Amino acid sequence: MSSLTKSELVAELNRLFAEEVEAALRYLYLVHAVRGINHLLVEPVLKKGFQETIEHAEVIAHKIRALGAVPSLKLNLALGPDKVDAKEALEIALTFEEAALEAYQDTLRRIEGDVPLEEFIRSQIVVESEHVAELKQLLVE
Amino acid sequence: MSDWQPDVRSTLDTWKEFDQNVITHSAAHHLMAIDDLVGELGYARVSDVARRLNITRGSVSISLGPLKKAGLVVQDENRHLRLSPAGQALVAGVKSKRDLMQRLLTEVLGVGPEQAQIDACKLEHLLSNETAGRILSFLQFLDSGSGRARELVEAWRASAPELGRGSGSRPAADSSLPGQKASAEPNKGITR
Repeated sequence: MSSLTKSELVAELNRLFAEEVEAALRYLYLVHAVRGINHLLVEPVLKKGFQETIEHAEVIAHKIRALGAVPSLKLNLALGPDKVDAKEALEIALTFEEAALEAYQDTLRRIEGDVPLEEFIRSQIVVESEHVAELKQLLVE
Repeated sequence: MSDWQPDVRSTLDTWKEFDQNVITHSAAHHLMAIDDLVGELGYARVSDVARRLNITRGSVSISLGPLKKAGLVVQDENRHLRLSPAGQALVAGVKSKRDLMQRLLTEVLGVGPEQAQIDACKLEHLLSNETAGRILSFLQFLDSGSGRARELVEAWRASAPELGRGSGSRPAADSSLPGQKASAEPNKGITR
């Protein structure tokens, strides 16, 4: 078992919950903040990001409830610039996706020993790594 | 009509100045968190700043963008954050303004320490250097221990004893003057 207490585990998951909810809201904002002809190209990417981060948030909320707690959401929504072009939008998305990936990696180190939770976090790391890789690829292309 | 128009213009100008402030409240806290962490740990990572400010890494990463662009924060190849000389100067100025405001509020005006800390935190990054310099000069006058300074503060406290009751634990109408208490260095980083 992890050396963390139940309340510490819940606090870890609440942090991840906030990361995902904030990321979803940032995606939603970016979908409508992108200006320029290329917005048509990135809109589907951003919308997909919104859907996936909301789903991740929901999964984490279920994990928190499974621990017998109620998800607690403390948001501090830094959105970035008011208007962005397509490239800037992808760069912003990459910034917060990398932050989310690091948050999962950090949590994995903290919960070492709690095998089911470790497995869940590992699977999330795989998914987040794919997101980061996709965004990086789009920015190169 | 003509009486209030100049006031409206002045308010609008102040609002513009407020809006164009060098750093926002949030940015000031990010910079101070990096400064504190580097002082305590020798390094500051995004995760450390996020935990210190009790916000997400995503928020910290997004907020750091403009600070890096402005040349106030530098991130090395190990993703460790540090303040540039310009960032350090800015933080020193903000911290000294906070110290000044806290001293003014607690030691002179008798505001409770907790409320004074909250209000100083709200004002620290907005106060102009000119006003900070005037407050510093006023505190130095009180620190001088001159009879006139003592009379001034005591006269004010006597005229409004209810004002001496701060929301914190400081006793009402404390008879001692600011200069008789241990104080921070109020002029650090202040330019006049």
